[in-house]
Amino acid sequence: TVCILVDSRCLSSAVDLMTSLRQRHGASVHVCSLDGSYFIVSSRMAVERHSQAALAAAQNRKRLSERVSALQASFDRVCLIVERERNKTGGASRPFQPTRFYDSTVAALVSAGVRLLWSDGEEQSAALLVELARLEQRKGQGIAVPLQVKGQHRQQALQLYLSLPSINYIQALNMSHNFLSVAQLINSSVEEIQQRGRMSRSRAEEMYRFLRYSCDSFLISTPKAAKTS
Amino acid sequence: MADKGASLTVVPPYGHLLCADRWRESSLVQSLAAVPVKTIFDGDLTVADFHLSNRTKVLYVSECDIIAGNAYKRKLVRYRNASSSFQKLVLVEKTRLSEQYFPTVQKFVVFDLGLSLLTVGGQTEASQLISQLVQSESRENCFRARSAGRLWDPLVLSVVQQLPGVGRVKALALLKNFSSLQQICNAAPAALEPVVGQSVAEQIHGFFHKTTAGRP
Repeated sequence: TVCILVDSRCLSSAVDLMTSLRQRHGASVHVCSLDGSYFIVSSRMAVERHSQAALAAAQNRKRLSERVSALQASFDRVCLIVERERNKTGGASRPFQPTRFYDSTVAALVSAGVRLLWSDGEEQSAALLVELARLEQRKGQGIAVPLQVKGQHRQQALQLYLSLPSINYIQALNMSHNFLSVAQLINSSVEEIQQRGRMSRSRAEEMYRFLRYSCDSFLISTPKAAKTS
Repeated sequence: MADKGASLTVVPPYGHLLCADRWRESSLVQSLAAVPVKTIFDGDLTVADFHLSNRTKVLYVSECDIIAGNAYKRKLVRYRNASSSFQKLVLVEKTRLSEQYFPTVQKFVVFDLGLSLLTVGGQTEASQLISQLVQSESRENCFRARSAGRLWDPLVLSVVQQLPGVGRVKALALLKNFSSLQQICNAAPAALEPVVGQSVAEQIHGFFHKTTAGRP
């Protein structure tokens, strides 16, 4: 079976999808609180669902680009499932007419390296999520770390790992389970961070530098001083 | 053969589209006349259908291809295996007739071959999409990851605030005295004590050094 992590916000908007993941595909689905409404199918891949209409709406562009950039910061692979809308009665809706704006959005997403998958509804999206998780599993990237973090101290350590820049939920879990203590992570070499956090070399290097980054106390106290003055 | 090899990697000039000869009379090319994209025909283009100036190739899979059987799969494999530094796109006609086969086509193109797939309703839609692909290179791409230039100081501050017993004031005081996460981590409780008090100093030291590992 494959393991998929789901943000709690996805539950209400995708009841059929969740049911299909669990019952039809036998996927082990874990609900947690992520920093956005998306799915995690491997230690490096995040998946978000969007409707075709949402990609075609100009007022969504800014929010969409913020979402995609945020995901690209902490996942090496980002995938969007583009879903066709259904009308209220469940039948097929009017055929979608792509506008020039919609095409420019799709073109920009593709050239930014975002993977696009096309779905006719929640059932198909569930099948695509399972297929992605399986493919990642075959490539040795599947979610293999225990998802439970027990005890107050371990929870606190996990929260600290999650606040590190460019670190996704699976990598934070890997660090919680694979380092003896937070101090061990902080004093680790790039190679150790890469191996035990199960992340790319460049991410491990960034983390190594971040942990040693010397703050300028002027820069961090300025925003507050500006507010109170 | 040498010529053939060369045409696989020919990049058309900016704003141009290199188009396989077999598309000469198509409605796709006719619709392209209406947009600011210049078409050049190339008889050597055999594997791909179009080359774009932003180093992208396009293969077109029509409704007929899909309905007619599995021959299109061979075309796709040949396309995937052709060596080049181009990004390889596949445009698939998703129509009322080809719809039922679409999940199979998508599975083959994306999961088995690892190519990018875009859907179009027909050749006119395809020409609109291709012209946007050609024009996208002259625009700034709002989806491209921008990580450079991010200031780390506020981020370090927010991580320090995750330590037990530490709010904004104590976090600032800690960074004023120890400057980095690693230095705070490796400070002895006695060194932390003058900055945050005895009890928080012990909590911080304990937090860093207490074991977290061990499978539940």
